[in-house]
Amino acid sequence: MGKGEDARTASALFVDFVALLREYGVPASVKDLLELNQGLEKGLVESLDDLYVFARLCFVRRAEHMDAYERAFALYFFGIDLPPVAEGDPELFQTKQFREWLEQQVRAGKLPPRAVWELDPEELMRRFWDTVREQMEGHHGGSRWIGTGGNSPFGHSGNAARGVRVYGESGGRSALKVIGDRRYIQYSDAVTLREENLRQALETMKHMKAEGPRDRLNLDETIRRTARNGGEIDLVFERDLRDKISVVLLIDNGGYSMRPFIRLTQMLFTKLHERFEDLTTYYFHNTIYEKVWVDFRRVRAFPIETLLTRRQDTRIVIFGDATMAPEELELPGGALAYWGGAAQLPSTYWLNRLAERFRHACWLNPIPKDQWDSTYGAYTLNRIRRLFHMEDMTLGGIKGMVEFLSEK
Amino acid sequence: MKTYAFEGTDKYYLDPELRAIVNMALAMEKPLILTGEAGTGKTQLAFEVARALGMRLEVLRCKSTIKGEEACYTQDTVLRLNDARFGSGKTGRNVENFYDYVIWGPIGRAFRADEKVVLLLDEIDKTESDVQDNLLDILDECQFTIREVNETIKAAIRPAIFITSDAKRELSDPFLRRCYCHHIAFPSPDDMRRIVNLHYPDTNPKLLKAATDIFYELRGRGFEKPPATSELLNWIGALEIADRIPEPEDPPLIGVLLKRAGDIQRFRKGDAGRRPYY
Repeated sequence: MGKGEDARTASALFVDFVALLREYGVPASVKDLLELNQGLEKGLVESLDDLYVFARLCFVRRAEHMDAYERAFALYFFGIDLPPVAEGDPELFQTKQFREWLEQQVRAGKLPPRAVWELDPEELMRRFWDTVREQMEGHHGGSRWIGTGGNSPFGHSGNAARGVRVYGESGGRSALKVIGDRRYIQYSDAVTLREENLRQALETMKHMKAEGPRDRLNLDETIRRTARNGGEIDLVFERDLRDKISVVLLIDNGGYSMRPFIRLTQMLFTKLHERFEDLTTYYFHNTIYEKVWVDFRRVRAFPIETLLTRRQDTRIVIFGDATMAPEELELPGGALAYWGGAAQLPSTYWLNRLAERFRHACWLNPIPKDQWDSTYGAYTLNRIRRLFHMEDMTLGGIKGMVEFLSEK
Repeated sequence: MKTYAFEGTDKYYLDPELRAIVNMALAMEKPLILTGEAGTGKTQLAFEVARALGMRLEVLRCKSTIKGEEACYTQDTVLRLNDARFGSGKTGRNVENFYDYVIWGPIGRAFRADEKVVLLLDEIDKTESDVQDNLLDILDECQFTIREVNETIKAAIRPAIFITSDAKRELSDPFLRRCYCHHIAFPSPDDMRRIVNLHYPDTNPKLLKAATDIFYELRGRGFEKPPATSELLNWIGALEIADRIPEPEDPPLIGVLLKRAGDIQRFRKGDAGRRPYY
């Protein structure tokens, strides 16, 4: 591509691309666009494949935006509208790309009007992805006009003045082939937890405190003491900062509603144990009253009053689905698991006191966030949510929790 | 302006996409952040760029206790106090002269160099986020201030900066905004064969193929610490010494590939095919 004028027309072309990226959730900015321009002026981009790589460097900072970038690129420069799901994922049927494809196929007579009922889902999925592959194959190789081609919805309709001519490929694999691999879809933040990513997320939680041997020179104090000493050197050492964090984990291990999450609970428990030396675990059933239990089978009780005497900077992680009957949470004597008597204070009283004492308390809920308003027990869930910062058990949720607990 | 082009080296297989990225970052003089699983060659890349372009390499290995300042310089206060009290003798140090007691860190050395150097900040995610913000300004402006004497050290020639990070998210947005970021995906079997060939050009191809196949099969099983490139390379080395071609049913020397006790137990039990959750 030439310099100067060409680059200016090119940047006009990219303004729409930036808008599309933002629509797809990639936080691209004008500054990034200027940067792209500088690169174009330096002659860094000689082919569409270079452009794919260079624009990605300018616009995308996080792996979780990568897939969105690739889809936007495919749509803008090739007119191929990729759905935001991986091949083989039945979520495909919820996407607009699938609906549009289905309509087109029916209109073209390639599928019967009642295809959704008549064909089995696997077959439909296979046909959809075959069409996508054909489109991608059709674009492969040769030189082409960016943004001026047929079915791109961006209206650079054959107007060569606004297009950018690019040639050939840059030795490696073409941009479109790379996009077709969908290498980055697994990094999207909605993925559920696996052992690898959970450990990584927890690793980021740190709390520095003065600890360990006194091996750090306190210069100000040294000078002061040395001066007082008449010039005889008096070295003053202090403790270094170390990562020191104490965590209390409260697990809801009772009840039928938590049963689907047993393996998730176990994994979270092991990983937290590996990460934090100073970790104490207690168990409860559905919600917390005046005591929790030290053992898994809930035999040895531990009073909440004692728990409340712990240091205020203790990090509290409560793991439970927070769904139950409203009276369990709000009425005196609401505990189901044992008879507390009518004089027993309601659970909300104890939860309040926990939330007041420990600012760094987070409720981790295995129910996905988007179901919090519709799940069974949504009332109690949202009631508890007003007291505690709540996250769900996705990678994003764990990161949110870590961020919240790491606040100063 | 001199341009630099990095084409890979005899010990490092460079994927064409990554080559393009490295050269774009060099041309735009932007720091390049490399993320990705362990064993994808993030750190190695900076070493190879330095070697291929004949530049000196300065490495800062980040720790969680690092403050950022010591990456630029430290002052040996105790030595200076000692010299002030007992004299510096024949060492040639002058107590009056602050710079006689400065020890330059990797960033300091890189900025003061009179030629272009490669600066690698390894595992930046281990540092605290406020340290990252400090480093950010330093790297962006290519200068830092020596607090004690209020003097600024500015790089005459911007170093080529590479930054590696294992974690995926905790780098702050402003930090990322001023860098180019690339996530190195795990090498495909084809790329892996090229990598292995660079390291073991004379090894029995049958052994290489068998080992690589088993390696990818094991990676697919979802161990907590899946074996990475360096493990495969070590394993092939070990197999070569032991003179064995591995069988998929019972691969020998499995401890070279799997490092976590839990993973090895799962492997022995043979139930590792199932992933716990999706």
